[in-house]
Amino acid sequence: MRINKDMKMAEVIHLNHHLLPVLNRFDIHLGFGERSVETVCRDHALNIDFFLEIVNTFHDPSYFPVRHLQSFKASMLIDYLQKTHAYYLDFKIPEIRQNIRQITQEGSLQNSHKKLLEDFFDSYQHELTTHINKEEQRVYPYVISLENTLDNPASTVKELQEIGRYSILEYEEDHDDVEAKLFDLKNIIIKYLPTSKNNKLLNVILHDIFELERDLNNHGHIEDLILVPIVENMEKALRARLNKLSANV
Amino acid sequence: MIREGLKTMLSNLGNPYRLEEIDTPLDDLEKLINRLHPTLIMINPLLIPKMITLPRDPESNFNPIYIGLISNGVSTKTKSKFDNLLNLDGDRHELFKTMEKVMQQLGTSQTETDNYTLSERELSILKLVALGNTNNEIADRLFISTHTVMTHRKNITRKLGIKTVSGLTVYAILNQHIKMEEIQGS
Repeated sequence: MRINKDMKMAEVIHLNHHLLPVLNRFDIHLGFGERSVETVCRDHALNIDFFLEIVNTFHDPSYFPVRHLQSFKASMLIDYLQKTHAYYLDFKIPEIRQNIRQITQEGSLQNSHKKLLEDFFDSYQHELTTHINKEEQRVYPYVISLENTLDNPASTVKELQEIGRYSILEYEEDHDDVEAKLFDLKNIIIKYLPTSKNNKLLNVILHDIFELERDLNNHGHIEDLILVPIVENMEKALRARLNKLSANV
Repeated sequence: MIREGLKTMLSNLGNPYRLEEIDTPLDDLEKLINRLHPTLIMINPLLIPKMITLPRDPESNFNPIYIGLISNGVSTKTKSKFDNLLNLDGDRHELFKTMEKVMQQLGTSQTETDNYTLSERELSILKLVALGNTNNEIADRLFISTHTVMTHRKNITRKLGIKTVSGLTVYAILNQHIKMEEIQGS
């Protein structure tokens, strides 16, 4: 079922509670009362179409309105993507890490296994952090500055040329390694980590990993299929403008 | 409707891959394929006015399986561009058979009876990987080609559900194939 503007926001959560962290990224808080999606978006000064596309993409991974999404501003997308980064690094990862620490303090794992689990998760955390930092420090600033330069009709040839020296393709990097580690962690816990007790905390950890994985998939999806094409279009527009300017000289 | 049917069929066959449905402007199709590097692509050639070249590059290990969704009356020339064909006018049984064959080709079919325990050879390769050896080093050591090492590694990953070297190391230690001290020593 597609989420639409006339639904009550409360209904949306009943339909799919996995959307809660997505709502947080739009700074939407609980306590909706009877307000509709449209009203809540208006109250928060959000672009309703953008909101709907993001929640629907998340709600149903096979829903992918590539054409429509490309009409949104890159800065809007980046704002959303940055908030998902913050959610991973400041909330979800520390939460899982905390639970792993707690489990290693209980007596249900052998000493050597505790260390294996902790080290493996730490190396995953390190890789994810490195990947995110690279995007935040290099890719996103480039995209924002490209958009600003293009949006400004007074941008000089020199400014246009300067930003034209870069290309999103150079920054493109697959998320394969980071994804593979999380995939491995799941199977190590499900299949291979021997536990002596019926460990409820391990269930919580596993559940969190599945949630994180789903969220990361959606995040990668948005980057590869929406952000990159938007940026490629901007780069095309930039080249066209430079050509036109040089023809006028 | 065709799409929904294909989706159901794929999930019945135990599709382990991520499924993307694409309605792309057609001139972007090649770019999209090059970017996503899919394992398998289904295209209805009738939706592409002028048939594009289907990207593949076996040199860099990018060799996807292209499946043409064809109906009666599609030209032989168009058909020849695809690795496999699904006849949309055919009956369900026929479609299912073709897809099952493709999935077996990919080594992912659930209907295939497979032994999920590692062979002796795979086990010795697993140990060497876990200890931090590269494919070339393992090939030299075992007097086999790098290509063979890679095939074994693919099978190990499929059997265990573990893809990364550090994941394989954890597996090897948990199952006492190697000792933790051995890795720190190497």
